[in-house]
Amino acid sequence: MIRAHQLTKRFGDRNAVDGIDFVVEPGRVTGFLGPNGAGKSTTMRMILGLDAPTSGTVSVNGHRYAASPAPLREIGALLDAHAIHPGRSARDHLRWMAASNGIPTTRVGEVLDLVGLDSVAGQRAGRFSLGMGQRLGIAAAMLGDPPVVVLDEPVNGLDPEGIRWVRTFARQLADEGRTVFISSHLMSEMALMADHLLVIGRGSILADCSMTEFMTDHAASYVRLKAPALGDVANLLSGRGLDVTRVDDEVRVGGLDAASIGDLLFSRGLALHELTLVRSSLEDAFMALTADSVEYHATSASEGAAR
Amino acid sequence: MTATLMESGAVVERTDVRQPGTAAVLRSEWLKLTTVRSTWWTLLATFVLGAGLTVLLCWGNAEWLASPEADESPGSFITWGMMIAQITAVVLGALVVTTEYGTGMIRTTFAAVPARGRVLAAKSLVVVALLFVVGTITALVGYVGGNYFLDREGIGMALEGDVLRAMYGSGLYLAGIGLFTVAVGFLLRHTAGTISIVLALMLILGNMVNLVPGEFGEWLTKLMPGNAGSAISTPVSFNPDLLEPWTGFAVFGLETAALLLLAWVMVRRRDA
Repeated sequence: MIRAHQLTKRFGDRNAVDGIDFVVEPGRVTGFLGPNGAGKSTTMRMILGLDAPTSGTVSVNGHRYAASPAPLREIGALLDAHAIHPGRSARDHLRWMAASNGIPTTRVGEVLDLVGLDSVAGQRAGRFSLGMGQRLGIAAAMLGDPPVVVLDEPVNGLDPEGIRWVRTFARQLADEGRTVFISSHLMSEMALMADHLLVIGRGSILADCSMTEFMTDHAASYVRLKAPALGDVANLLSGRGLDVTRVDDEVRVGGLDAASIGDLLFSRGLALHELTLVRSSLEDAFMALTADSVEYHATSASEGAAR
Repeated sequence: MTATLMESGAVVERTDVRQPGTAAVLRSEWLKLTTVRSTWWTLLATFVLGAGLTVLLCWGNAEWLASPEADESPGSFITWGMMIAQITAVVLGALVVTTEYGTGMIRTTFAAVPARGRVLAAKSLVVVALLFVVGTITALVGYVGGNYFLDREGIGMALEGDVLRAMYGSGLYLAGIGLFTVAVGFLLRHTAGTISIVLALMLILGNMVNLVPGEFGEWLTKLMPGNAGSAISTPVSFNPDLLEPWTGFAVFGLETAALLLLAWVMVRRRDA
């Protein structure tokens, strides 16, 4: 379990992390979602005691990480796939890590097997592809067989097969009862991986809920229809107790599927010009939620041209 | 050991726990040092430059040193190569620290060993041990080779007294330089910056302060780390105005200790 209390990190006059509270529970995958620069990595570094909080606290399994007897047995972390000496082999990298925490060397072979790097373990890490580097980072995180696993952007730069592997792996870890905390700036990825979401923007927690809740609350869907007799259509549908909104020359209906709406209008002899199911994606929901908190906005082409 | 989960959310400071022991951290730093090729290349350079240049200079100057025109002592030549080999000690000391900062691996290190002081101590120890051994062996091989040519001219030196002291003194000096650079590396966290600053301090600034006039300039010259520390690595110094070997080395040791203390304070305070 990871628990943050009023956790704050100030860089200069800007709060990178602004008094956040959260709990990452065991037995499920918690997605830590936010745009770039939202404070995800800073938070993760504070969890690991690499950055000192300006104020507030964060604990792993009930105590400060730096006070851990064998840190790698407590929490495994993938912070940055490049945090490896390019001239050292994968096996040697894991060997020094194991030695530092009194983990038996036999465990090195086990985690290499686990991530499928056993055949290239003798190669220098500098020759590894991004995907292999991520696997090595995950192997390193698993060295101490820790109850808490923290992965910062684990799917960055992975090919589809690798992404799928990380997803399955995270699920497996959570099913084993571990605390799994994964950051990403991609909602689509989180939607497939996480049970619980922690959305952060400009250093503040914007949402802390289950994936299902997030979908219900933020990813709305409705049926858009256009018809010559728009008023009659709207009256008919709202008479049925449906959620009807009239926007310009269209009507948006919630609570009934497109086919049933079409059948209903046909049975009343009302003509239809358009009938479309509109689903705002999780990506849209995430964008809408974090729109105000994105650090750097891109100017769209048309906007730019108008200036 | 499993920690109790605190429902209240309070953070419990654990005092009953043992961090990764010093021995474990030492072993891991030793593994790091010996599993990259740059270490071995650097040490090979130490040996080739240190022993090779000594032999070469002794071979080239033996006849002159034995002649009446000679105004230098053969004792200044018998560890001549170490003056150049000290550069490799700077490189090794820097690489051990700064490549970790350059690659971001330092975060992996501090996540594995949150007691950063132990990381600094372990890195210091492995660098000192390795450079002392390699430095002493290099000086001995240089002596054996160089003295062969001096002997032929009848000016050979026995391996005793100041000559013997210069052998392990060379090891001590290289170890000291490596340690000095480790401290600078933790402070600057940048490979090129660390190497250039230390080399400039040892080789360039150490000679330039000579130009400062008067007694002040003399003392400044004596106290510069490279000048104070290097006297121990040679039986007879080229510069007669330097501090006595052991006095100089003590000064150099204090300077290094001060720098290490500063590095220790900073590495614990700064975000990784």
